Amino acid sequence: MKEIVIISGKGGTGKTSFAASLAYLGGSDVVVVDCDVDAADMHLLLKPDFAKSEEFFSGELAVIDQEKCIKCGKCKEVCRFDAIPIINNQYIVDPLSCEGCGYCARVCPVNAITNEDLNVGNWYISNTKINNTLVHAKLGIGADNSGKLVAKVKDEAKKIAVSTNKDYIIVDGSPGIGCPVVSSLSGANFVVLVTEPSASGLHDLKRVYELVKKFHIKAGCIINKADINKDKVEEVKSFLKEENIEYIADFPYDIDFTKAMIKGETIVEYDNGNLKNLVVESWNKIKESVK
Amino acid sequence: MRIAFTTKGTKWESEMDARFGRTEFFLIYDEEKDEFTEFDNRAIGGEAHGAGPKTAQKLFELQAEVLITGNGPGGNAATVLEKAGMNIYIGAIDITVKQAYDAYKKNELKKI
Repeated sequence: MKEIVIISGKGGTGKTSFAASLAYLGGSDVVVVDCDVDAADMHLLLKPDFAKSEEFFSGELAVIDQEKCIKCGKCKEVCRFDAIPIINNQYIVDPLSCEGCGYCARVCPVNAITNEDLNVGNWYISNTKINNTLVHAKLGIGADNSGKLVAKVKDEAKKIAVSTNKDYIIVDGSPGIGCPVVSSLSGANFVVLVTEPSASGLHDLKRVYELVKKFHIKAGCIINKADINKDKVEEVKSFLKEENIEYIADFPYDIDFTKAMIKGETIVEYDNGNLKNLVVESWNKIKESVK
Repeated sequence: MRIAFTTKGTKWESEMDARFGRTEFFLIYDEEKDEFTEFDNRAIGGEAHGAGPKTAQKLFELQAEVLITGNGPGGNAATVLEKAGMNIYIGAIDITVKQAYDAYKKNELKKI
């Protein structure tokens, strides 16, 4: 079983469009994971049924017992996050500002404050319209994605892949280069970098590749919207060469990507010509590279 | 040498865990004493952030001199391990602990 992670560094390069297309082509050979939990959108294309749902707890939230509170104001004084406003003459914890550090509970002279585990959302195991399994999550308003949540959904996906004898896990990775991305990459066999030929596209590609390098994972690159800036494409390609990153394919800027998205379809369902062929070729190359 | 392996179980035949920070177990093999120690690291699943440096701290406490793992530690964990003078070997992926040890002995793993 091989784990393939798709990341981009920069948003809007087409990462999820490709991840969903590979998931579609992989069909029942793959388990799909959406680790882009801050703005999860894979479900829009894969139409999961949310068959199994579980609550997810991460971090802590301070809770003040109003019966015990003597209104001394010490908690408000020490709070670095200004998370304890006075409302109707009561000290109240603002759940969006509280970081759960526990300092207030420590200074409270009457032990009126306790930290509670924070329910930040749900995670799901679903069957998709292509009849493969999607492990995904949905966060509540203001909740953060974390390495913990990413590790959780990936672990569940691995268990399913092992027990049902699947060949691949396709992971739609988290954006940026922070903790959730580290967790997305951890344990992967191959990384697909999706970029676009723009100053920020190349900049973020370089930044995220720094991270991939630390984990010594083999990588390949898809250059999307390649016809919007030919000079930048050459710059991207020379970077790939320098770093020994496999060049997988480049895709033209095509309005059909948007049209497919509006219809809630992957590009391999929507298009039957050049675009579909390019994705199929890319998938075959990726499979060859993880052998 | 005390050699630490990132593993998914506690036996010689267990599979290696490619991850460092969120590895399920450490299996420590003391070559001189021909003796195993195991450490259950699964509590790390409860940590939202900073798994790498926390696991690196554990490894330091386990007094390992050599680390054998899969992908290798991330940036923050690597800094901690470097300061602790750890010898790190990577590339032990999709194999058992025993196979990883043999590969290490034959100099087949990459040192970072």
